[in-house]
Amino acid sequence: MVTRSAGHRIRDAILAANGKVGGSSVLTHVPQPLTRPFGSAEQLEHECVEAVAVGEPKASPRGTGFLDGIQRYSVVGRFGLVPVVRGYVAAAVLGRRNENLCVRHQVSEEFVATSIGRLSGEQLRELENTRLPLYDSGGDDREHPILDMHLAARVVEDRRERAEQRVILSYLRDRPEGWLVVDGSIAPYLAEDGASRILGLIKSHETQFLEGEDLRTAMTLPVGHRSSVFARRTNGRDKAYTWYLRLWPWDDRGLLHGLVRLELAPVDEAVVQASEISAWMLSERSPLSAPDSRWDRLIYPMRQVESYLRAQVGEWL
Amino acid sequence: MRPDHNPTIGRVVATEAMPSGTHQFQFWTATDTDLGIGAIVRVNDDSGRIVYAVVTDGRSYSDLATPLHDVVAAEGDPAAKRGPTRRTEVRLWTGAVLRQEPEEPLQPVPLAAVSLATKEDVEFALRMDSYVRSETAGGIPIGIYTGGGMSAPVYLDADFLLGPESAHLNISGVSGLATKTSAVEFFLTSMFQTFPAHKGSIAAVCINVKGPDLCFLDQPGELTDVDREMYGQLGIDPRPFEHVCYHAPFKADGVNLNTLRSHHELAKSVQPLVWGLREVLDYHEVLLNRDDIDAKSDAFIDFLTDRVVEKDFTDEWGTTHRVCTFSDLERLFRSIFEGLEATGRSDMWRTHHIATIRKVRNRLLNISTRCKGLVTDDGSVSDLPFGSFEDRSVHVVDVAGMDQLAQDLVFTRVVSKLREHLERRDLGVECVIVFVDELNKYAPGDGPDTYVRKMLLDISERGRYLGLVLFGAQQFRSQVHRRVVGNAGTTLYGRMDMDELATPGYQVLSPATKIKLATLPKGELMIRHPHFTQPVFVRFPRPPILPGPVGVQKFPPAKEVDFEDAVVMQLSTLDRRILPGRVKELIVGHRDDAVRRALLATRRAQPDDALAFFEAALGTPVAREQVTGSVGKTTRLKQVEDPYAS
Repeated sequence: MVTRSAGHRIRDAILAANGKVGGSSVLTHVPQPLTRPFGSAEQLEHECVEAVAVGEPKASPRGTGFLDGIQRYSVVGRFGLVPVVRGYVAAAVLGRRNENLCVRHQVSEEFVATSIGRLSGEQLRELENTRLPLYDSGGDDREHPILDMHLAARVVEDRRERAEQRVILSYLRDRPEGWLVVDGSIAPYLAEDGASRILGLIKSHETQFLEGEDLRTAMTLPVGHRSSVFARRTNGRDKAYTWYLRLWPWDDRGLLHGLVRLELAPVDEAVVQASEISAWMLSERSPLSAPDSRWDRLIYPMRQVESYLRAQVGEWL
Repeated sequence: MRPDHNPTIGRVVATEAMPSGTHQFQFWTATDTDLGIGAIVRVNDDSGRIVYAVVTDGRSYSDLATPLHDVVAAEGDPAAKRGPTRRTEVRLWTGAVLRQEPEEPLQPVPLAAVSLATKEDVEFALRMDSYVRSETAGGIPIGIYTGGGMSAPVYLDADFLLGPESAHLNISGVSGLATKTSAVEFFLTSMFQTFPAHKGSIAAVCINVKGPDLCFLDQPGELTDVDREMYGQLGIDPRPFEHVCYHAPFKADGVNLNTLRSHHELAKSVQPLVWGLREVLDYHEVLLNRDDIDAKSDAFIDFLTDRVVEKDFTDEWGTTHRVCTFSDLERLFRSIFEGLEATGRSDMWRTHHIATIRKVRNRLLNISTRCKGLVTDDGSVSDLPFGSFEDRSVHVVDVAGMDQLAQDLVFTRVVSKLREHLERRDLGVECVIVFVDELNKYAPGDGPDTYVRKMLLDISERGRYLGLVLFGAQQFRSQVHRRVVGNAGTTLYGRMDMDELATPGYQVLSPATKIKLATLPKGELMIRHPHFTQPVFVRFPRPPILPGPVGVQKFPPAKEVDFEDAVVMQLSTLDRRILPGRVKELIVGHRDDAVRRALLATRRAQPDDALAFFEAALGTPVAREQVTGSVGKTTRLKQVEDPYAS
């Protein structure tokens, strides 16, 4: 009698109990705790979340732009225990011209981030002489090397978001029509004019807004299907309309394979446009953004924005 | 410093794995560039260094990591609709350095902007400035470089083409497509019009070994507007050669010329090529192979040459011979054999064994049979005008209708005579170009070491000091002796065969250059010249002369006629007023060889009154003796087995 391996025995057990086999590769690290695992949702399209077939992929309208940003930072030195961080952020919008991606807008910034309150007058003067923008990373009186680095990193992240915001504003101002696809949530831009033309493409699913059968339906969407549109709170007051979309089959690969969430400003047309916008995203599956490990959720134009910005960084690479 | 340059089209890139060197570098361009293999570019560094290079390779690739990703994106369906975005693609080119400015210190190519070369850049990059613009300028237009919508004439340095610095030109390419003959015809036109007078006088001798290719050099051909524009750009007047003289042997009948240029309108410019015993005996090594000639035979032939031919020679039996023709030679041999037989002395005659004498007799007398039409036994000779060659004249020796042995003889003797006269500085010109097609036949890389090959090797290696320049053409360069092709200072390549390109001689060329060579259209050539550090592609116009096949249609060769009519026809080409009946009356009663001799003399002299001259040359007819039955006593020859009889 042949003894089956433990893996096979477990798969057999799952199948026997009407489960579905397939998931991740071998892991070694325990993931970081989720900072915000749950959110709330308000159904807009259907009473319960349903899987809606999107239909044939369809190219997005002419003039659609794709935005992304990057950040780089490093500790250049220290005054005592206070880290002096050199930071670089950049953001760009790429648009298509004759099927080729080209740069529409871009900004970049190089700066210094440190805990200004802890520096002496001379130290501050010397940093100011670098003629680079100097940003305060703050911090308590009590020094903590790791916490200080976290604070400096927050400054870098903030500058990157601002850079992205500047590019978005420029783009929306210069182009009264046309969509802008951004990497991540649209929450920071909801207040901007033209926010209704911004489409957020979210690849990570740390925060789950649905629960129960709704969540199960959303997480097990077949390829080429979207979930019903629902609203989520972005902060205390604002809302965004959102839905899930399965770009690639997830069988044998894990629940989140090929699953993205799309986000729009809370406008009435959002529900009507959901399927069409989803069809745009389905058409973006080709060309594949492989070999990027996120190829199942990262559309090619977004990857190209990243590639372009990385190429611009030069010595930071 | 050359500050003006075209707009930037590319940028030099280098990585550790693919660094920028002193001789080669990489650069990228947009995908919709006009650039191609063979284009000349210029790298403009801010530091002032300028690098000129020719594009030798090009590659294109996208950010696709593996073909599998494309399969996944198309979900396995090749016909699937393509995505809305094109993958990022790069056109990466390899440039081979032609020249750097400043030339010292020689440094790697800087990572700088790249632009297409201007007309002035091309001149400088190919170092043509040193011989096109100098006081003793000697630039010979060879064609037009085109790249990126710009065209510029390309010149060869006369000093490196005709000597003394280097010399000789070799052209390779497949038959029919490589335009070898056209290229040489165009280039000779160019050379004759642009070769500077202060560098001396030149002439060309073209050996036509096949077809009608070189038969109409003096007739204008049709040109297109594009051709005329190219001629204008090169500063050449598109007109056929003005001083062309054709030389062709007779057919076996001794009166009809063995050439495709026998149309009555053109026949006047064809001179018969007729040689006698002396002309042949000097080059017996060509005609007699190694098996024929041993030391004993060689010694006997030397004896004949030194002591007998064209001298009064009295044999041991009292007969005085003057051997000027093959017939005279035959009489001498008969006299020797009969004398030895009659006296019964021995099998030796003047230290030469009778078997050796018989062997030499068979071989020499066979020559007049094998080369009939070229070699006569009546003593008449008509040759190239050695000693009175005119500047910018072309002499075409048409041996296309002859067998290989006769072609070898003609080639060897003509070239040897040219060499002799050039050595003595009495040819009439200071430099002569000999054009030979099918060089692989005359100077093969393998096979026996023939006299012809030895002579070609000698020209290749020493001809430039004499002013004897070889323009050779062949299909497969690899099949020609490497010292012959290796000594050619300038090499042209037309369309090449891929198998030929796979041979070791082409290893220096990039795969892209080889592909370009294998698909080269008519009218384009790749050039290697001592001043060009890399091969350069050029276009050239059609030669301004009638192509051979068209010429044969326009001027169909005359039909072969009987002896009397052939004599009439040839005299008519000299003087149209001549009445056929009168010529036929004149030659009645004359021996054929006497008529041939008179005809040849008339053609050579080209007198005002051709008929009168012919009549005078013919002289009084000699009555033929009617021989009936046996006369006198017949001598029975001693029966000696002749092992060499053929």
